[in-house]
Amino acid sequence: MPTASKPFPSWMVTLALAALGLIGAEVVFYLSYNYVPTQISEGTLWVVTPDHGAPINLYESYRIFFVHLPSAYATALCCGICLVGGVMWLLSKKPKWEALTVASAEVGLMTGAIVLLTGTLWADYAWGSGRIGSGWNWEPRLTTMLILWLAFAALLVLRKAMDQPRQRSALTAVYGILLGPLYPLVSKAIEIGQTSHPKNFSDLLTAPEIAITKNIASLGLTIAFMGLVALRYQMGRLGQQIEQERAA
Amino acid sequence: MADAAAKPAFPRAVAALFARELRVELRTKSLLTSMGLFALLCVVIVGLGVRGLSNDETFQRFVLAMLWVCTMFAAVVGLNRAASADRRNGFFQALLILPHDAGLVFFVRLVSTLVFLLLTQAIMIVVAVPLLKLDFFDQPLMLLVIPLADLGVLAPGVLLSSATSRVRGGEALLTIALLPVAVPVFAGATGATERLQGGSGADGAMAYVLLLVVCGAMFTALGLLLYGRLNEG
Repeated sequence: MPTASKPFPSWMVTLALAALGLIGAEVVFYLSYNYVPTQISEGTLWVVTPDHGAPINLYESYRIFFVHLPSAYATALCCGICLVGGVMWLLSKKPKWEALTVASAEVGLMTGAIVLLTGTLWADYAWGSGRIGSGWNWEPRLTTMLILWLAFAALLVLRKAMDQPRQRSALTAVYGILLGPLYPLVSKAIEIGQTSHPKNFSDLLTAPEIAITKNIASLGLTIAFMGLVALRYQMGRLGQQIEQERAA
Repeated sequence: MADAAAKPAFPRAVAALFARELRVELRTKSLLTSMGLFALLCVVIVGLGVRGLSNDETFQRFVLAMLWVCTMFAAVVGLNRAASADRRNGFFQALLILPHDAGLVFFVRLVSTLVFLLLTQAIMIVVAVPLLKLDFFDQPLMLLVIPLADLGVLAPGVLLSSATSRVRGGEALLTIALLPVAVPVFAGATGATERLQGGSGADGAMAYVLLLVVCGAMFTALGLLLYGRLNEG
């Protein structure tokens, strides 16, 4: 086993998360296409256009929410893990916290990209003209999410640029802490100048099958993304061990 | 006990460090020259870009937002100059034997850079108001918005520049690292300016001023806590 000192708990957690995540993802994709209604009735799946004009029907487009929403939850979690990892590294100077910060930043970058892409694709249909990019209207929720995504990217670029391991670790921790306050900003952005992005999922979609699928998707895919964080964390720890052995 | 006796009093240490910052700037004139010249060039470039446009509300909003962009990049220029000079002069090695918490150095650097940035902005406004035909002097609350926004940009900037100055190409890295973190401050600054200049008054701008206060306080507190830890190795 790669970690000789404590192989059991962390690898078990990783494997459990990965297995649960895979099962969860399969269930979510099955439910998204076979359980939630295809026929849409008026009053359950209608969305209001940004200028509060005539409501448009979502048709099949709402299925993208089952990926979009869990990805947003996972991005929030990754932001929180960056903050916790940064604080814990500064307090303990243990390399495992650095590995955790980096793993969550990498997965946050990926889930943030999924949120932005799926959101933009849906927005092009829901309140844009249908052309790619027409739904991007720079309102606070969209913009703050893009900023958070750029901050994840900045953390990883900064790390790559630092030569000395100690300084790299310190900068990773400090930037992880600076990243922390950005997600509350994304969350609160919905209350400032919001015109297009739905404020609440349940305001938009009220069919019971959709609510059930949304809850399963939120749990299943978030676990899958956390499984990815755990896998990247294990890889990071292995990399740290190799670096230590080379230096010894 | 001997250490405590040898330790200079906090106000004396602040005064000594602040005097050092001013003395270095008076000798080299590096920060004000680079930041000021950069800001003036930005004003000229913005002026060229908007020439011929009618001076309506949209024009005023756009130009004021552009001036905030110029301010942010002028701050980055100043932070990079200051941090790379410190690195060359062995400032961060000297930090290790400082008898006070390194947060003190952060605080003094923040205040001194804030003073230089405010001076730069004063020059920029004096030039921009006639050249870009701005209506700028009728809102006293702007005198609060400007230093608050500067504080929100400079606090994470001072912290991050101490790390990015260690590597080659650190100037570009600081921009990449600072701008995502400073975006809430930029949003607050442009929002408050727009509301004040748009005639919404102090009430309309208060939410943005509050955002600036929160960001300034949070980033300053984080800088005080983390500066020493980032530069101890």
